[in-house]
Parts: sequence; structure tokens; C-alpha cells
Amino acid sequence: MNRETILHKTLFYLFAIFFMLTIGFPFFWQIINSFKMEKDIFALIWFPHTYTGANYVKAFTSRPLLSYLGNSFVIANFATILSLAIGSMAAYAIAKTPIKGKTPFLILVMSISLLPPIVIISPIYSIIRGLNLLNSYTGLIIVNVLFTLTVVIWFLTPYLHAVPRELEEAAEIDGASPVQTFSRIVIPLLGPGVFTVGILAFIQIWNEYLFALVLNPIKIKTVTVGLKMYESDNYMPWGTIMAAAVIIVVPLITLVLLLQKRIIGGLMSGGIKE
Amino acid sequence: MKTLSRKQFGYLCITPTLVIFLVFAIYPVCRTILLSFFRFRLQTGPVRTFIGLDNYIQMLSDGRFFNSLFFTLLFTVLTVAIEVILGLIFAQLMNLPFKGRGALRVVVLIPWAIPTIVSGFMWKLMVHDQYGVFNQILASLGIIDHFIPWLSQDNTARLILVLSDIWKTAPYVSLLVLAGLQTIPITLYEAAAIDGAGPIRRYFSLTLPLLKPVLATAVLFRLISSFKVYTVIVALTNGGPGYATESLTMYTMRTYFDAGNYGYGSTLATFTLFVTCLIALLFTPVIRNKIDGGKGA
Repeated sequence: MNRETILHKTLFYLFAIFFMLTIGFPFFWQIINSFKMEKDIFALIWFPHTYTGANYVKAFTSRPLLSYLGNSFVIANFATILSLAIGSMAAYAIAKTPIKGKTPFLILVMSISLLPPIVIISPIYSIIRGLNLLNSYTGLIIVNVLFTLTVVIWFLTPYLHAVPRELEEAAEIDGASPVQTFSRIVIPLLGPGVFTVGILAFIQIWNEYLFALVLNPIKIKTVTVGLKMYESDNYMPWGTIMAAAVIIVVPLITLVLLLQKRIIGGLMSGGIKE
Repeated sequence: MKTLSRKQFGYLCITPTLVIFLVFAIYPVCRTILLSFFRFRLQTGPVRTFIGLDNYIQMLSDGRFFNSLFFTLLFTVLTVAIEVILGLIFAQLMNLPFKGRGALRVVVLIPWAIPTIVSGFMWKLMVHDQYGVFNQILASLGIIDHFIPWLSQDNTARLILVLSDIWKTAPYVSLLVLAGLQTIPITLYEAAAIDGAGPIRRYFSLTLPLLKPVLATAVLFRLISSFKVYTVIVALTNGGPGYATESLTMYTMRTYFDAGNYGYGSTLATFTLFVTCLIALLFTPVIRNKIDGGKGA
């Protein structure tokens, strides 16, 4: 190994360590503080003499964290499945069927994916109130579908372009109707793509705050809205907040660590195609 | 049963999406624009009075509107510029053929996956004026001689918001850039090296121009999403001190739901729509490119 390679290697690892520390530190600080007693948080001791689990107990007892988690779980699951079902149909129509108006439709998808939520929040509030769906699962599920649908369509349309037309033609020669071709040939082929974009959609919905705040302020609070509930005007229970935050983040970090390859692949292809 | 033609089946497939778009996006956008020309307050009941451009005239003399616009623009420009520069550097690093770059790519996902409201609270504890680790580290390095109340001074509060957004988003931008880097054929570099171009020259005259499409896409999406900043402010400063960190979205939310002023709120929301359209217009080639990609052209 020559001197230049060693220098490059050292520089790389120095950068890499600096980079990882900077990115990792806030997350580390959140976790370590969730195990500290309040006096240790106030005293700014990095590693406490005694670790406590009391914050985690309080996270569940001082606020209904379990129901926040349940609500987010139900909403994120249903909205993800719905937008995958509806979105894959739309992507199929664009990629594989001879319909008219594909360009205006794609312009519409693009516009909605760029649309700031604040532009539509007040009318959506009126619609959801009119349908008697404030503080319900259904209302928030529908609204989340709107924003993940565009992600699903953008992701799956190029994916479907890559499916060879011959596969479908073979089925058609055997007398399959378009519905049968779609359900027997196309859906199984979509498997990996649907899975990847499903994870991206799930994370987006789990993290959504604005609509969850406006549409479900009283009942069926989600985790993001719930976290804000630990705060009060004159007192911040930092240990409890950090413990609740860790619990909220755990499902996501687990997903990320288990499925990192797919998520990175999904984000990166989204970046090129988007 | 008569079987559907492929074309009919295509229309059938696209209908649910169109219905959702129509009811929950197109109609709401039109209604917001329409209401921006009306006086409509919660306090005066369901009465709507057409007042033409009065709300817009009011907006142009509203100091709080200009204040929120100023902060939002400042936030957008700073975050996007710094995130793109850091993204370029990190991506270059992650693309080097060393052991451990896989780990880098995973670490990069953590800030992206954490909900904005959670990262806001993480930062709020770190920059606390009395027991914040940020102050402790800076003091022990000798950079500051007393603990700074970061979130109670206008400019430091703005700085912390920008920093927390950079922490959360720059790693994600670096992944997008990395995707672009990996599409550049290595043979191009070899050819340039044979021609005697040094690494810096190669970067600026080869890599950067080839990354342009990816960068343009990233900048478009980042500009629009930075411009709608709201959640991180809710967690960190709630718009304070005073209105120093009140973003346009936050001001609009307060006009709607705290003040109950739906007419003027719609005007502010329409303004956000206007700025978003302006940004999108600047990036028409990017959007056209994406739409052609969607069509499979």
C-alpha cells in the first residue's frame, strides 16, 4: 500500500466518523435521556449513574400512548393498503392500457404531489366535517391516501412499463379478460415494487402531523399529535417526552434497519425518476 | 357478461384515483381560491360577502404577513442551499470504494425516518438554555463563555430551525445525489484522467454537469417542501420569540383556526399556492422530463 492510499483511507474514515457522529448524536441523546432521572437531565450528566425505566412507564400512564400508537397503526396500515390498491390500478392504466388523456393525468399527479397541504386544509376540514368524519379513522385515512397515492403512482408506473407486454398477450390469447390479466399476471409481478413503495407510504403517513392535528384534535389522536400532548405551559417532562419519542420511532427504525436495501433503492430510484 | 375492452378497463382503473383527486384536491383548491375573495369569519356565522380584492389589499399592508414571508423565504433559501452542498459532499463520500460505506448509507436513513415533530423535540432539549448539551459542548470547546438562550433570541431561534432541518434532510438529499453519481459511467472518468484532468477538474467539469438533472429535481422538491415548513416550528419555537419564526403556513393556520378568519386565511393560502406555482414554473424542464418518464416515452 502506498502512502497516498493510506492518506485517502485515513481521510475517508475521519470524514465518515465525523459524519456518523453528527447524524447519530441527536438520536443517541434522545435515547440516553429517556433513561435518565430528571436530576441527571438537569445536571447535564451524559451517562447517568443510575438508569431508570420510569420514564417509559410514565410515557404510557401520563398520556394514552398505547391508543396513540394503535390509532397511528390502524390509519397508516389502512391508508397504505388503500393507496397501493388504488394507485397500482391507476399506474396500470397509464402504463399498459390505450386510454386517452395520460399527459393531463400525469400533470395532475405531479401538481398534487407538489401541492402544499395548507392550500387545501380548510376546505378539507369542511368536507370531512360535512361527512361527519372529524375525529374518526376514516377521515384521516382518506386524506392520507390523497398524498400517498401520488407517490405510489409515480413509483409504479415506470415499474409497470418494464413488464413485457408479451406476458399479458400470452394470457389474452388463452382467452383471459383484461380483469383476469390484471389480477393474475400483473399483480403478482408488482410484488416487490408494491412492497417498497408501501414502506415509503407507511413511513410518510406515520409521520404526518398537519392533517392529523386539524382533523382529529379530540379523539383518535395519532402519535405525532400525541407527542405534543406531553408538553404543558410551564413544565416540560423531558424524560417522559424522550421515552415517548423513542417508542414512536422504534417501529420506523426497525423497518429501516430490516429493509434498508429496499428503502435506499426506493428512495434512490424515486430521485432519478422524480 | 360482456367482457371489457382494454381501453374500458383502463378507464375503470383510473376512476377511483380521479374521484379522490377531484373531491379532495381539485375542489378544495378551487374553493380556497374562491373564498379568498370573500369576507368569511367564524364569528359572524355562515355569511359570506363578496369583497373582490379587499383581502389581497389587506395582505399587502399586513406586517405580520411580510414578516412570515421573510422568514419562510430565508428558511427556504438557507436550508436548500446548504442541504444541496452537504448532499454533494456526503454523496461523494458514500460513493468511495471503502469498507463501511454500507453503514454510512444506513445511518443516513435515520434522520429521514424520524417524524419531524420528534426531531423537533430532540433539538429542543439539545439547545435548552440551561441544560442543553449544545451549550455545554460549545462552552467546553471555548466557543461561547456563557450558555446562550438559543430559542429566545430571533436570529439564534431561526438558526436552530435551519440547523435541525439540515440535520433531518441533508442525508436524504445525499442519497438522491448518490443515485445520480452511480449512473455516471466510470469509463468517463478514466478517459478524463488519461486526458490529464485532475480530480478537482474532473469533479467540476464532468461530475457536476452530469448531476444537473438529479440536482434540479432535488432542488425543486426541496424548495417546495421547505417553503411549507410548519411542523418543526410547532415543536421547537411555536413561531417565537414574538413572531420571529412564524412561517407562512403557521400564520395561515392561525388565521384559519385560531382567529376563525376563513376569508383572509384563504387569501394567505392562495398566496402559498401562487409561490409554489412560480417555483414549479422555474423548473418546467424537470417536470416535463418526469411526466415523459411516467408515460414511458
